[in-house]
Amino acid sequence: MGQQILNAIFIGSIYALFAVGYTLVFGVLDILNLAHSAVFMLGAAVTYTLVVNHGQSFWVACVVGIVVSGLMGLVIEHVCLRPLRRRQAPPIAALISTIGLALIIVAAIEQGQTGSLFAWLWVDGPNSVAFPVNTIPNPTWYFDGLTLEASKVAIIPISIALMLLLGYVMRYTQVGRGLRAVAENPRAARLMGLDVDRMISLTLIISSALGGLAGILFGLALGDISPYIGRDNVEVRGLAVIVLGGMGSIPGAVIGGYLLGLIEVLALVLIGSNARGGVAFAALFLMLILRPQGLFGTRLRERI
Amino acid sequence: MRRVRLVSILVAGVIAAACGSTGGGGTTGNSYSGKTIKLGAILSITGAGGVYGPQSRDGMMLAVNQINSSGGVNGAQISLTVKDDASDKGQSAQVAQTMIQADQDLALLGPTLSNSAVAVHPLAESLKTPILAVSTTGIHIVPDCNYPNATPCKYVFRDSLGEETAIPDNIMSYANDAHPATGVLLVAQDDKFSSDGGKIVKATVAQYNINLLKVISFNKAEADLSPYVTQAVQLKPDVIFITSLGGIPAKIMTEARKQGWQGQFLGGNGFNTATVSTQAGAAGKGARSASAWYIGNSFASNADFVTAYKNAYAKNPDQFAAQGYTAIKILADAAKRANLTFSDLPGDRDKLRAAMETVNIQTPLGPFQFTANHDVKQTVWIIAMDGSGGFTLVHQIS
Repeated sequence: MGQQILNAIFIGSIYALFAVGYTLVFGVLDILNLAHSAVFMLGAAVTYTLVVNHGQSFWVACVVGIVVSGLMGLVIEHVCLRPLRRRQAPPIAALISTIGLALIIVAAIEQGQTGSLFAWLWVDGPNSVAFPVNTIPNPTWYFDGLTLEASKVAIIPISIALMLLLGYVMRYTQVGRGLRAVAENPRAARLMGLDVDRMISLTLIISSALGGLAGILFGLALGDISPYIGRDNVEVRGLAVIVLGGMGSIPGAVIGGYLLGLIEVLALVLIGSNARGGVAFAALFLMLILRPQGLFGTRLRERI
Repeated sequence: MRRVRLVSILVAGVIAAACGSTGGGGTTGNSYSGKTIKLGAILSITGAGGVYGPQSRDGMMLAVNQINSSGGVNGAQISLTVKDDASDKGQSAQVAQTMIQADQDLALLGPTLSNSAVAVHPLAESLKTPILAVSTTGIHIVPDCNYPNATPCKYVFRDSLGEETAIPDNIMSYANDAHPATGVLLVAQDDKFSSDGGKIVKATVAQYNINLLKVISFNKAEADLSPYVTQAVQLKPDVIFITSLGGIPAKIMTEARKQGWQGQFLGGNGFNTATVSTQAGAAGKGARSASAWYIGNSFASNADFVTAYKNAYAKNPDQFAAQGYTAIKILADAAKRANLTFSDLPGDRDKLRAAMETVNIQTPLGPFQFTANHDVKQTVWIIAMDGSGGFTLVHQIS
């Protein structure tokens, strides 16, 4: 069982890191950024391409992957969100525009073949690829019957440190106070002299950079990078996590991520392998029925 | 005048007799000369089946080039179009429909995956177009392509070894060698090929006194297989059966070895390519499967095929390449004997289908004839991954 708990913590860290970005945008803008899963994939794809096709070191590629993901956040804001906000379009319009952008990003990567327009970005089309074995040192340790693989173990402190840092920024820095002010009441924040658009852009950059990093860690630890890793593995699960934890709550996303990882593994062990996905979403359904605001969901002004 | 009429009748009679003699199964060189035999192959060049499709394509292209450069089929050149279905069932059916109706291909080959065949083969059957499966090994491929309708499909053939033969042979072979007592099955439940393989494993193990401790099913898109592997490994089975395709078998083997399990992997057709053996690396060493072909087999035309393939692609062929190569040779032989008109496509398709039923040629897979069910009956090669991207021969089952 110990190994299964470890498996749950590894994958839960990825879910949490992904969902923190998801929930951050929801907390500030009250909309779901469904392009987040595409950014998750983009981070992994850019890093992989730089390492394998452009001969860069993993660390350089990783930084570039995070930066590109963050910049994609800016694209999401300027292409999908801001124009609609200016026209006071309903939140559903923003939801649909982010789905559209996600489909475009996935399709662009999918078309990446040698000699194609996107060959500089991706050459493996819809195929699944993995980082070469020696991309980073990845020893495996055995301890008391448990198998600990460095690339998976590293995910835990990295995720926790980043989430703590984000929590600190949100609570104790001027930027964080500004973001919380925008989350609470954008009009009041604007009247108080805050540049709301800038704050929203910053939210998208931070959120997308975290999403991209989650994708990189996912690709590294699980050896699976394809145009579909976001769609297949974290998109709906990320949604489940933020519903479990409470829409818009960062601590909720963290706890929700680990909780979902644990529920999935317990379902597998206690009920059977077919139940892994089903039980997770049954838990989500129960949460919606019994406590619609989620574990950490509170009133609007206390979000993020 | 009467003499002229008599001569005319005699000449007409001679011509009719000549035509009659070629209609009895001989060749019609004149009508073929300068014509093109259009074939279409639906293969998974990308996606999960992308570890198999490219080799099938390379084998087919090699055969096409060899035939065309040595005069073609009675003087007709083969034109082979290969289209990628991205391992997607819907796309596969769409490509097949285009090839049959828009491109007016005489016959089709493929698709790579059994999961796609359940959409493509009934379509070809309904449009009365011969289709030759080159790598689909699931259940109900031939003859009952419209399963659960049991009516035999007239236009569907395959030259790939069905898992109903291969998996039991592989289990029998290992059981005789090592007498394993326990096993766990890891199966991708949402893929026809994989779930068919799982059914066959479940139906076979008891015959060899192997206690199947658990069946662990997962979805093929699942990236994190660690919890499933942990569950399997913790049961300490002698054997882990893997019925899945693409990169999944290699991932399972790697994770299981990392978790310290040292038992035997047994698999199906999903193992039988150098790509999977390479992906598994040292973790896959010794993993066994039953293959339709082995590089060192002594069949008459195998050495020539291997040499030609190496010259063309600078690498060793694998089972999928051999089956693709054989498929073109089968179609060429059938086309040669079919008395094609090149003007009546439905008629030509039917003539080709009839001629395929009587194919009898030497191929890298061995002497080749279809069974009454349009299936293949052939030698089975039990092979093991060598840990460095290749395979070694363990047993030959004739």
